[in-house]
Amino acid sequence: MTSGRGNFKMALASVRNTKWRSLLTMLGVIIGIVSVVTIVGIGEGVKHQVATQADHFGKDLITVRPGKIHSAVNKQVITNSDVLFGRNSSSGLTIQDVEAVKKADHVTQVAPLGTISGLPMFDGRKIDNIQAYATGSDLASILNHKVEYGSFFTGDPNTKDVVIGANVAMKLFNERVPLGQTFVFRGQSMMVRGMFEPFHASPLSPTAGFDDAIFMPYQLADQLSNGGLQFYSILAKPTDHKQAKQAISSVQQQMDKVRGGADSDFSVLDSKSSIAIGGATVDVIATFITVVAVIALLVGGIGIMNIMLLSVTERMHEIGIRKAIGATNRQILSQFMLEAAVLSGVGGVLGVVTSFFLAWFLRTYTDYQPIITWQPVVIATLISVAVGVIFGTAPAVKAARKDPIEALRHE
Amino acid sequence: MPIIELQEVSKLYGFGNATNIALDEVSLSIDEGEFMGVMGPSGCGKSTLMNIIGLLDRPTHGGYSLQGRQVERLSANRRAKARRDTVGFVFQSFNLLPRLTVLENVALPLAYKGVGQIRRAKLALNMLERVGLRDRAYYYPNQLSGGQAQCVAIARALVNNPSIIIADEPTGNLDSTSSRLVMELLSEIHKTGNTILFVTHNPELTRYATRVLYMHDGTIVHDEQTPVGEIAATARKALYTIPTKTVDDDLAGVSALMKAVPHTVKEANMTTTGQDKKKPAKKTSKKRRGGKK
Repeated sequence: MTSGRGNFKMALASVRNTKWRSLLTMLGVIIGIVSVVTIVGIGEGVKHQVATQADHFGKDLITVRPGKIHSAVNKQVITNSDVLFGRNSSSGLTIQDVEAVKKADHVTQVAPLGTISGLPMFDGRKIDNIQAYATGSDLASILNHKVEYGSFFTGDPNTKDVVIGANVAMKLFNERVPLGQTFVFRGQSMMVRGMFEPFHASPLSPTAGFDDAIFMPYQLADQLSNGGLQFYSILAKPTDHKQAKQAISSVQQQMDKVRGGADSDFSVLDSKSSIAIGGATVDVIATFITVVAVIALLVGGIGIMNIMLLSVTERMHEIGIRKAIGATNRQILSQFMLEAAVLSGVGGVLGVVTSFFLAWFLRTYTDYQPIITWQPVVIATLISVAVGVIFGTAPAVKAARKDPIEALRHE
Repeated sequence: MPIIELQEVSKLYGFGNATNIALDEVSLSIDEGEFMGVMGPSGCGKSTLMNIIGLLDRPTHGGYSLQGRQVERLSANRRAKARRDTVGFVFQSFNLLPRLTVLENVALPLAYKGVGQIRRAKLALNMLERVGLRDRAYYYPNQLSGGQAQCVAIARALVNNPSIIIADEPTGNLDSTSSRLVMELLSEIHKTGNTILFVTHNPELTRYATRVLYMHDGTIVHDEQTPVGEIAATARKALYTIPTKTVDDDLAGVSALMKAVPHTVKEANMTTTGQDKKKPAKKTSKKRRGGKK
């Protein structure tokens, strides 16, 4: 047998000698690897962020969501809801539900979250990309998030005061701290009473977009939408840690009363299952995209097979020479197999490097915080080598079986 | 005992009406230490014979015993190993791998044999030393002249220490000086006890051979022993002989046609000796040609 290292060197040299072609061939593998590693990384990052944020909100936070939880293959998924945290759910929660949760025992603070369409108007201009939320006066303390300037609006049902996210100040008012400014939303004049500290949330987390949001009392929002207001979530905090369990069951009971028992279309979650469901949702998305990425890898593999077949034909004369000076079929086979494996392996490594670069880029310039763990990196690299070996086999066999004289005659 | 013994070997190509007989029941035995030239027109089966002897090809019919071992039915794998260990090939077009250095090219058969990297480099360097190209070890084949490339190819053929060297028109792509260099080298190797078979179209080169084979349409039509240093008697008939003038002419494989026209020989001599005067020499030749017309 030939020495492995020598063969490996030869394979590397061959890849280097046809740089452009090799790079183009590797592209399929690189794209596949980058997507797998990045998607898994983003998924991990989001899960991590959701978990830390939940810690930040407090461990005992109770969440009421529309839709039932279905368990499927060890993963809990809420049906009939937006895949991301139930926003824009069709059968939302209502003010009656909020009142029910408020009535529950061992619950101190309650804040619903719902979106209301419309754009704020200031100084005669309507500003895009600002989302209005309907919520309660307890939101700041439930989220455990600081109101940097001013204060949160009160529980007074007739108040027209609102709180804004950090980015809204400049966007809407072109002013750093626009406390006391008034603007018009759906024909209703409102006053800025407070401004949140920046959230810096990842795009998939529950507080995503809160920096570009206006928070108004839900009673006011309900008036504006003629009683049709719906919430995607109701947050509640138990009086203290010990009462957390009773609080949950009490919330469940009160909700059952309003909603009428058996065919209940809502879920009461503690923070843990909230996170689990968030994670499961992310996993579902990640799985889908990973499937697509695997298809990309497959296509990459076919590309490698194609180019190896071409390479075998091109190098027929070389094969003839090698055979004439004593290479056995198996040695030729291993040479071409190794070349395919090196081609895809180098592609895999380049893919991993690119994903690290992409992860850095996302970290720096977006709110995504991908976390690249070693598992997807190792698995992706192994898969890419396997792709090379699998798809390199046919061309290598073709090369190895070639009759030496025919091969020598080939120019 | 002969080192190579062919027993009524035939080689057929194609099927049915299109069957082409490349070798027609050829029987041949070659003793160890022979330096055999094979001559004959194109398509007469010389190369097929070489390929079968060199284990690159299998006979369609007939037996072949190499070093006392029947090899005509060996598997491809065993043939490859036997080829590696007993036969060294030299080709007309050198067939060096362009992307490997001279040293790597020479060491390649050793790699297939499984020799370690350091020992490989050492043996290959020794072999390059032997053909006088040690200083070209790290050149690439395209940086060598034809003669040098063929010497490297010979070094590669020799590196496994094979008992048989098969050279299929080794001088076919070379000028007369390089041809002589290559043939001298083969002759040198012959002296150390190797059996050498070479195909040539040039009767001059039979000077180096101890035995000359003439083939036609897949059969051996004539087989003669010849003393080293003299053109084989039969080959001489095919040569447009003109009395040679210098020792160089005697030894070099200058083609017969070149020799047939005396003034061209002189011209060739002029161009090779006075390199600085190359351009004027070419001009004069053009003028002469023009003058003739």
